[in-house]
Amino acid sequence: MVAHARELDPFECCGLLAGSNGTVRHHYRITNTVAKDARAAQVFEEAHVKGLSHLPDMTRAEVAYFMDPKEMLAAFKDMRQRQLDLTAIYHSHTGSPAYPSSTDIGLAYYPEAAYMIVSLQKKSQPDIRAYWIRDRQVVPAEFHSI
Amino acid sequence: MIKVRIPTPLRPLTRGQGEVEANGASVAEVIADLDSMHPGLKQRLYDERGELRRFVNIYVNEEDIRFLKGKETALKEGDEMSIVPAIAGGR
Ligand SMILES: [Zn+2]
Repeated sequence: MVAHARELDPFECCGLLAGSNGTVRHHYRITNTVAKDARAAQVFEEAHVKGLSHLPDMTRAEVAYFMDPKEMLAAFKDMRQRQLDLTAIYHSHTGSPAYPSSTDIGLAYYPEAAYMIVSLQKKSQPDIRAYWIRDRQVVPAEFHSI
Repeated sequence: MIKVRIPTPLRPLTRGQGEVEANGASVAEVIADLDSMHPGLKQRLYDERGELRRFVNIYVNEEDIRFLKGKETALKEGDEMSIVPAIAGGR
């Protein structure tokens, strides 16, 4: 995840982690299409979160992400075939802390997944944190590397 | 029958089922049929103007219905429909 975040910096990266019984077994990088997909701005607008329409296309991906819907569907299909569940949804914050923004909270449609954020605010010291976001409430989620 | 994949946030309405079956000749008809069996589902998918909410992705046999005919996209026996909420956020 950190490698993915660094590769795309200053743009936000995003992806999915899948596993079973809370153990991650598979990692899917998903393309951030926020700058390319006109619908992304409409989704943000509908949720009354960050306005994107005023930003130039290139800047949008520095402050927001929108997962490519086709890649998402393919990842979910792959999870079913591998009999894995969605464990976490991650994205990077390239210049802000690893805490969910009001945009992240307003667009959190997956109560079963942990939302993980990789912060590159301190470039040499990436910070990764996980949260449950349910009914607009943010609760830190525990995880450890094995 | 059309097989419909239900995302986790809507499963409380389908008694926890991730896959249900419904009848209908179009996406809109299938959603109406689903709503008759699982009341409340339609309201979660449509906005107050009766249009599909923007964050709701619907696929018929893996094709995004936005690139087909939207909720009027025709369905036939054996087709699969997936409902997948968008994943997005920012800083
Ligand atoms: Zn964020």
